[in-house]
Amino acid sequence: MRIEKCYFCSTSVYPGHGSAFVRNDAKVFRFCSSKCNKNFKMKRNPRKVRWTKAFRKAAGKEMTIDSTFEFEKRRNVPVRYDRELMAQTLKAMRRVGEIRQRRERAFFKNRMAVAKEKTLSAKRRKLAARKARDAQIATDMEATETTEEVSTELVQPIAEKESIRIKRKVLVPATRKRSALVKGEGKSMGMDLD
Amino acid sequence: MGRLRRSRTHKAQRDVHRASRTRARTKDLDQIQLIDLLPTNRAALEAQPLDEEKPGLGQHYCVECARYFESDVALKVHWRGKLHKRRCKKLEEPAYTIEEAERAAGLGRDTRKARAVETPMEMAT
Repeated sequence: MRIEKCYFCSTSVYPGHGSAFVRNDAKVFRFCSSKCNKNFKMKRNPRKVRWTKAFRKAAGKEMTIDSTFEFEKRRNVPVRYDRELMAQTLKAMRRVGEIRQRRERAFFKNRMAVAKEKTLSAKRRKLAARKARDAQIATDMEATETTEEVSTELVQPIAEKESIRIKRKVLVPATRKRSALVKGEGKSMGMDLD
Repeated sequence: MGRLRRSRTHKAQRDVHRASRTRARTKDLDQIQLIDLLPTNRAALEAQPLDEEKPGLGQHYCVECARYFESDVALKVHWRGKLHKRRCKKLEEPAYTIEEAERAAGLGRDTRKARAVETPMEMAT
């Protein structure tokens, strides 16, 4: 049994699942789902589609360089079945999986810490800029207040006038609709006949 | 009221499904970048024998875009155009291949050939 990898999103494709496309140079493209197949047909670059593994690795969202990636490999060398070896391999796989999980969590935490620091610094900068602007406005206001005397009298609201709408009939000169299809109407492409 | 007109009526995207059929499939970027753009292959593609089934008898071929043109003038106009320049830009970065998909999934490739010869010998002894 061979578990293939999807060409587009790099998930595992188990036997009996997904589809395959064989190009005319005998390269086999495996797909986990019709979604991936359609995206391939549209000639999209998986490196630029955000939900693929290729994007996440290329954009530094996930761990790429690590010694735990050195174990899973396509080896075209047949190995004679050995019960001991198999048991050992299974044990090792579990252990490597644990280690990788821990390292991935550490990578994620580190990435998030950096991102948080970035956003916080941006916010701080924004706040400082706003404070400086406010201070500038306050000083300007003070400068104007000292020169002009402000009246303390309250302004009485002016009562709104009641407006009455009266309908009146107005004669509008009738205009015939001009057609672009009739020559000499002024809208056609030909020369004016007037 | 909702939208009455179908969206995406512009951009000349007439029929995506027809264009994405297997029989209408065009050359992929990795085929062009890794095979066609090699100097010898390129020379062969640019100097093709007369073929009456191809546009312009197969005499005016743009290797980057994998496209035949009717005349030399049309080819030269194409080289100056937006589509060709965009394509060249895409070809500058390394093409996406099956190997890269597998690497992204954490599946590497053992390229050591010498070891492949050694192991069966060990088995035999």
